[in-house]
Amino acid sequence: MSAPAITRPAAPEPPRPRGRFTEVGELARTTPGVLTILAVGLVLVSVLVGVLTAIGVQTRATALDDLTTSSGPLSVAAQDIYRSLSDADATATSVFLAGGEEPADQRARYENDIAQAESALAIAVAAREPADVTAQDSPLATLSAKLSVYTGLVETARADNHQGLPVGAAYQREASNLMRTELLPAAEQLYQAETVQVSDDQDSAGGFPWLEVFLGLVGLAVLVVAQIFVRRRTNRVFNVGLLVATGAALVSLLWVVIATLGVAANVDQSREFGSQDVDQLAQARIATLTARSDETLTLVARGSGAAYEEDYGKVADRLTDLLGDAREGAINDEVRGHVDTARSAWDEWRAVHKDIRSADDGGDYPHAVDLTIVDGENGAAARFDQVDSELQKALALTQQRFTDEVSQASNAVTGTVLGVILLAAIMAAGSVVGIWQRLKEYR
Amino acid sequence: MNRRNLLAGLLGVALLIVSGCGSDVAVSGSRAKAEPPLPAGAEVLTSPPEAPEAPSCVDPTKSLRPGPLPAPNALPAGSTMADIRAKGKLVVGVDQNTLGFGYRDPADGAIKGFDIEMAKQITTAIFGTPKALQLRVLTSSQRIPALKSGQVDIVIRTMTINCERLKDVDFSSVYYLAHQRVLAKKKAKIAGIEALGGKRVCATEGSTSLANIASAESKPVPVQVSDWTDCLVMLQQNQVDAISTDDTILAGLAAQDPFTEVVGGSIDDEPYGMAMPDGHEDFVRFVNAVLEKMRTDGTWTKIYDDSLRELLGAAPALPPVLYRD
Repeated sequence: MSAPAITRPAAPEPPRPRGRFTEVGELARTTPGVLTILAVGLVLVSVLVGVLTAIGVQTRATALDDLTTSSGPLSVAAQDIYRSLSDADATATSVFLAGGEEPADQRARYENDIAQAESALAIAVAAREPADVTAQDSPLATLSAKLSVYTGLVETARADNHQGLPVGAAYQREASNLMRTELLPAAEQLYQAETVQVSDDQDSAGGFPWLEVFLGLVGLAVLVVAQIFVRRRTNRVFNVGLLVATGAALVSLLWVVIATLGVAANVDQSREFGSQDVDQLAQARIATLTARSDETLTLVARGSGAAYEEDYGKVADRLTDLLGDAREGAINDEVRGHVDTARSAWDEWRAVHKDIRSADDGGDYPHAVDLTIVDGENGAAARFDQVDSELQKALALTQQRFTDEVSQASNAVTGTVLGVILLAAIMAAGSVVGIWQRLKEYR
Repeated sequence: MNRRNLLAGLLGVALLIVSGCGSDVAVSGSRAKAEPPLPAGAEVLTSPPEAPEAPSCVDPTKSLRPGPLPAPNALPAGSTMADIRAKGKLVVGVDQNTLGFGYRDPADGAIKGFDIEMAKQITTAIFGTPKALQLRVLTSSQRIPALKSGQVDIVIRTMTINCERLKDVDFSSVYYLAHQRVLAKKKAKIAGIEALGGKRVCATEGSTSLANIASAESKPVPVQVSDWTDCLVMLQQNQVDAISTDDTILAGLAAQDPFTEVVGGSIDDEPYGMAMPDGHEDFVRFVNAVLEKMRTDGTWTKIYDDSLRELLGAAPALPPVLYRD
């Protein structure tokens, strides 16, 4: 762009020798002075808009990153802790129910549950600040302090059982009591906290980009005003540098808007088809496990089991509702299929449970125990395993959908930060070049 | 060179600040304290349980004189026994936590003991076979409610006969005479209930033992639990200093922990009776007849030898049996 110097604009205004203004003050009143200030101002605005927009987009990207690497996996870990602990207790109590030396596979199931719970707990602890973990009564403090106490009690019960001492049963009951009154509530609390965190991350990743749009519009407005000013002062209609800067500002604004709206759409999807359904399924699974341990504990307690059976009734109704909700919210036919299978296994299990109760209440305790723990087509154990494993499959598929949506959202913001910074640099450079073009004409 | 030094210095300062903050947090929060778990339902009683306001009654152990003992297939029509026989089973409330009397054998999950053998004798007298016996496990505090609601036909569960309970249920003649004593750790060198002032002493909720602990002159602190083995758990976890109840139950607990011993003299007599719902006089007389027969034909001694001899030594003299009419 060659600057045609055909019509020289008005010469610099003659200095007014008053002597009261400083040299800078005088310079500022001249057109070149004004233009220089304008250039500096435009560079500052460009940098400011670029940096603030980049920070806004980066916050979003961080929230998305949290969803894939922190809050998302942590809510899964919390779920895992709950499931493993609950299953460990149900297994330990039903092993006890059988009497005699425990079957090797049941013992292995218990040990695996504990190993799984400890590994998930380590993940959850590692993701937190030390203060979170050591704070009194925080769920992580309770879990890490009491899990080893629980396993200690179970081992004491086992050692006593092996020696034929009835006090083993008392240790087993104490262990179960610890699990139900402290460990499981802490695990549930942890799960709730992580679910809230997921929701918060979704909020901060998927909101409308008000700040970014505002900043983009400010940048554009400043550039337009600058061009009108330059045109008035210099009588030039177009200024290529400033036009390029305006173009960069416009592209930056559109990029940010399109990218973040895309993210918002993905995050909405991850919420609607992912986290909400994951939560429903996870709640259903928790209810399944609670129902199972209520069932076995009623028999273990024999005389004093009425409270467990009452709890079973409540949990059973909730589970039926949750399975209905999960079916309605199923993200696809495959998930719906798993939920349906879980539902029919649950109906069968409830029927078996009725038989168990009538056997026990009718005094046929050994038959009740058989129906409850003996593996086989018609037992409650097989039904429980089926409900649990179908729910777990549905959960895995739904979890996958959540992860997919979030990682798509992550892809949408990839490069946006760099782009915004580059475009801001172009904006600044364009402004400087454009105004330099006019300034040159005063030489 | 200079600038690089400056940079390194700044970095160092920043690192110091960051690491300093980090260790502060970790140290201030690292005072973890262990909280030993409690058995479900365990409770330290700050106010004593309803005082044993011994309602006046003339010798509560005096039961109804035994009636005739008909053969199982010749039970008088319309009698309580005939109704039970028609129902097809005798539901007996028992314990599963007292070694010797009623306990769950971990080896096969079955409930065994002196009380269970007694229940088998009553069942055989009604049905001609012990197979119609149905056990229902009860905690101490569930015994009377279970009888009143008809959940069980009879309770045979180390149950002490006393005036207060006689208001709600009927008792058979005394089938075992126990004495309340104290179980403590050998190391603690506790002489008896007199030495337990201000110390925590465990018993089950609703038992006469708990009331006796609360009213002891030395003023121990009563701790209540649901089952006797819960007391042993608390003693082993150092949460109580002693357990006080019937010597029969204590012997069963001591057998499970060689570091404990039964100490002190008898605090109170504990005559055991089988409890039946009020208003079934025929059943009480029938049960007393079965007991009478067991005492005289040597069955009682045989059951004692099988279930309790190992735990309690040679059979004590049979308790004197008295009837009110």
